Amino acid sequence: MIIRPEGLPGNIRREADVAIIGSGAGGGPVAKELAEAGYSVVVLEEGGHFTREDFDFSPGKAFTRLYRDASQTVTLGLPAIVVPQGKTVGGTTTINSGTCLRVPRHVLKRWHLECGLKDLTEDELNLLYGAVEEYLFVKRADPEVVGKNNLVFLDAAEKLGYSGGFLPRNAKDCEGYGVCAYGCPSGAKQSVNVSYIPDAVAAGADVYTRCRVERIVVHNGKATGVRGRFLDPATGRKTHHMEVEASVVVLAGGAVQTPSLLMHNRICLASGRVGKNLSIHPCGAAFALMDEPIGNPKGIPQSAYVDEFAAEGIMLEGVTLLPAVMAITLPWGGRRHAETMWKYPYIASFGSMISEHDSAGKVAAGPSARQPLTFYNMGRGDLERMKRSVLLMAEIWFAAGARRVYTPIEGFKELAGARDVSKLARTHLKRASVYGLSAYHPMGTCSMGADPYNSVVKSSGETWELENLFICDASILPTSLGVNPQLTIMALAMRTAGFIDDRLSEGSFEKQSAGRLERLRARLRREKESKAQRLSAEEPTSV
Amino acid sequence: MRDYFAGRLRRLAPVFIEPVEGLPPADPDGVVEFSREFLRAGTPAFRILFYAMILVLQALCLVTRGKSVYSLPPDEADEFIQSLYSHRISALSTIPTVLGTPIYMSHYNRDDMQAPLGFDIAAMREEAAKRGVQR
Repeated sequence: MIIRPEGLPGNIRREADVAIIGSGAGGGPVAKELAEAGYSVVVLEEGGHFTREDFDFSPGKAFTRLYRDASQTVTLGLPAIVVPQGKTVGGTTTINSGTCLRVPRHVLKRWHLECGLKDLTEDELNLLYGAVEEYLFVKRADPEVVGKNNLVFLDAAEKLGYSGGFLPRNAKDCEGYGVCAYGCPSGAKQSVNVSYIPDAVAAGADVYTRCRVERIVVHNGKATGVRGRFLDPATGRKTHHMEVEASVVVLAGGAVQTPSLLMHNRICLASGRVGKNLSIHPCGAAFALMDEPIGNPKGIPQSAYVDEFAAEGIMLEGVTLLPAVMAITLPWGGRRHAETMWKYPYIASFGSMISEHDSAGKVAAGPSARQPLTFYNMGRGDLERMKRSVLLMAEIWFAAGARRVYTPIEGFKELAGARDVSKLARTHLKRASVYGLSAYHPMGTCSMGADPYNSVVKSSGETWELENLFICDASILPTSLGVNPQLTIMALAMRTAGFIDDRLSEGSFEKQSAGRLERLRARLRREKESKAQRLSAEEPTSV
Repeated sequence: MRDYFAGRLRRLAPVFIEPVEGLPPADPDGVVEFSREFLRAGTPAFRILFYAMILVLQALCLVTRGKSVYSLPPDEADEFIQSLYSHRISALSTIPTVLGTPIYMSHYNRDDMQAPLGFDIAAMREEAAKRGVQR
């Protein structure tokens, strides 16, 4: 069941096979897999539990309830970048756009060659991806509901000869309300809070909400449990104690919180890699003033992409903004702000995502475990890529008939046409000249690898240093993916659950490695057959 | 939020939010209420930065314009805010960005503000509530 702190009588002490810290893209799938395999599972989530009835199209409320630190997490460095992260049951999947992309082949190849992760084969990953995609109803966004904004942009990109299309998403019967980032109000988006967690709970898992884990208990080189505190929902103050004694501990707090917890517990630090190697996807945006209303925000915000420049590390992905979010994104204020907002129905938008090449970041221990410091400096090359992405979006918007294009670049906040575009192209940017930059998908701070001196976890997800401590979130991804990571985190979580199953059934990894895959294949086959039988039984018989 | 900062924020809201015909005016109390919640849920660092920015904005206006930002005529206040937004020193352009975040968010988050902008939030809420997709 899902347990809120309000009704708890006092301190809680539990015993379980598995204690999972975090209920997002990593923690959710592990909880479901292991609970369904018959293990007792306790999930500890720092955020609150909300259902679709609580999601009311309000970014203001969503920021304060569903986002970590009301979305005020900013990197220290140049330029300062806002990195929004979820803090609720379902983690960031509750507030993401639902895009589901597999790891690009060249990235996987790099993991094989540079990180020695040869046992993470393409065949195995494809099997896992297939299972996750089927479970989450992943399919390409329906052109009927992607919204005019995305259609106009794609059309213009096509005219310019750029390749693109509609993104695969984990949504079932999506009507395109345009508010994925504030909690899906219809339940169409198959985020972890409406998929993995309910199924884990149905299989017997207990999810404690508003419970912040502070300590990972270690005995004789093994993780044996966790300790934490419940938080008062109104004040955020610490209340009762929580202690779970467990055979296996799974850390799935995300690429910022996970290394922070390890650092504050002073564990797994021997490789010197905890918190290092932070990669994010810096994102830019270009708004366009069109002649006709663009129908904002109706439509699936992130439903279209242009991948013509993916080899350069630039991915253009759709974005539509509600008035409140557009209002804080505009690079000016006062009268000009009011006049621009008045034209909201005519303002189209699109975003870009940069796969880093020469930027560097790290997570360092902050004043407390919950306040890690995130350092990030954008490299010159990536800054140029960011500028190029804005130029490309401007080119496409002008090809679509835009009267003006608004950019986040100081000195070029408003482009009137091709002349301004080429002037911007010739300009050498400073890192401080990009306004209101945001980035998503923090990764890599507890990276997976084959070398214990250069990585934090093995390919199974278990830490090199502590037995029975597994990490299962974006922090283990060894390099930037260049695409949205949730599908890969879920696939790897499913894989890690298989290894934990082996561990709990007292077999060695080496002995059971082949058996684990065979078991997975057989299970997926059985699930497929039973689903087909169920569907055929539900079909009306023809007369 | 201390009363002093709440009072300053209340007076700052109309400086950031220009009245536009056809749209509801600024609601300073709503801005303060939302900012209180936004800052409470956020990081201590942002809270400190926010309060510091209010003080810096006041001081900067006194030094450069010889008047309090709250007593500047609307045109001059607007020009002052714009000049900060596009200031080449990023520490200065950060001031209106930080202060504008909760002010603009609370203003444009209002249902009565979104409807004239073509986003009928009440109708959308009703429609979504009826749908309820089952897995």
